[in-house]
Amino acid sequence: MLFKTHKRFASALLVTFVLAAIAAGPAVEAQEVAVGGANATVLAVLAVTSVQDLNFGNVLQGVPASADIDVIAEAGDFQVTGAASTEVALYLQLPEFLWNSTNTDRMIISFGSTDCEVDTLITATAAAKSGNETVEDPYNITAVTLGGGGGAHLFLAGSVYPAVDQAVGAYAGDIVLTAAYTGN
Amino acid sequence: MNAAKHNPSSLKRIFRRGIFYSFLIALLPAMDILAGVLVAPPVVFMSEKGKAGRITVQNPTNAPKEITISLSFGLPESDSLGNVNIFLNDSTVTDPRSCLEWVKAFPRRLIIPANGSQVVRFVAKPPKNLPDGEYWARVVIEAQEGVAGIPMLEADDRITTKLNMVMRTAIALKYRTGDLVASLEMTGAETRIVDSKVEAMLDFTNKGNCSYVGVLACRLLDANNKEVSTFDLHLAVYRQLRRRIELPIVEGEFQAPYRVEVTVTNRGRKDIPPEEMIYGNDITQTLAVES
Repeated sequence: MLFKTHKRFASALLVTFVLAAIAAGPAVEAQEVAVGGANATVLAVLAVTSVQDLNFGNVLQGVPASADIDVIAEAGDFQVTGAASTEVALYLQLPEFLWNSTNTDRMIISFGSTDCEVDTLITATAAAKSGNETVEDPYNITAVTLGGGGGAHLFLAGSVYPAVDQAVGAYAGDIVLTAAYTGN
Repeated sequence: MNAAKHNPSSLKRIFRRGIFYSFLIALLPAMDILAGVLVAPPVVFMSEKGKAGRITVQNPTNAPKEITISLSFGLPESDSLGNVNIFLNDSTVTDPRSCLEWVKAFPRRLIIPANGSQVVRFVAKPPKNLPDGEYWARVVIEAQEGVAGIPMLEADDRITTKLNMVMRTAIALKYRTGDLVASLEMTGAETRIVDSKVEAMLDFTNKGNCSYVGVLACRLLDANNKEVSTFDLHLAVYRQLRRRIELPIVEGEFQAPYRVEVTVTNRGRKDIPPEEMIYGNDITQTLAVES
């Protein structure tokens, strides 16, 4: 019985691999095309990824709201990947206001000097950090040496301050993270 | 006996399982939908012989990306504590080594389809009688989702917020002309023991006419020449740079006094093609650590 179950699982696995190989074909080809013009330095490619937007959810007029840096659904999460053990300078451009879609009203947004954390564990999340994360001032982030996995996470919290007469609507703003190797 | 071979319902079941697992595998790249773009190579080199350069921007995600290419100026700078940062400036740049004014990128705005790539070219039109040396800029590649990040209003009486996370990668661009000299000097060095580690503060000054790009390697040695710990990092000195190095005193049978052996060389960089390296002097110095 056990032998039969193993056989079925093995057969299903085989079908899976065949289908996966068919599906992955074009993607692999695209990767090769892109790498073709990039010579041997491709291993050191630096990339910034937005894993999770900073999210305050719905806010109420006159009631400040904060995003918790330890909550996945609230903290902003940028992932920086590159060559392992290389140093990367990080620079955040943060908004002072969020604007509604008609640009007729704005809401104050602010970031405190401890609203940023950098973790060199590539698998870290806002809720599950390595324990070695460093608290940073989001306006002055210390360059980070990428971990052995070749990556780091930058987590960001903040607060919004809707006025008592804040117009209802959807407010948006940009958070810009710039990453650059310091060794080039 | 193979049960599936004789039982059509088993075959269907296996096929269904296969489809299910395939669906799970297919979901993995979709989870990467918020990823940024990849840019290679990490440094663009141009010269009087080849006034054109190029980078390849690849979108590894399953969503189109809107890419903006711009040029800024920023060098690795250090503060008094040896922290290094790069502050980009794209206006009122008066640095004589800036090539911001005479290097252009084409195209500067593009949309890269899902899993696609695009070549971006750079053309230099340097002024006449440009002194020998290296001229610098940073290529800033900004990636955003191809769809505008305007939040959806969930209800008429609510306030909702949406922070668009914009990702920028800045890579170095170097234009070279004439005879190039890479020369580095270590102008200052201090060491001290802080808690259970040795902290070395090293000051470097570039004496050449191009950036000194190399590797800084430090070894902490004990009184018997035993290696206690090591540290190395990629170094780029454009003018002056202060680096703070921390070498842990790991547990073991090590005896004070300690020494720090500092080596700087611009050989051994694997991220830059050898034909683009300007090789210069090496530095080897041993620093005593006061207990």
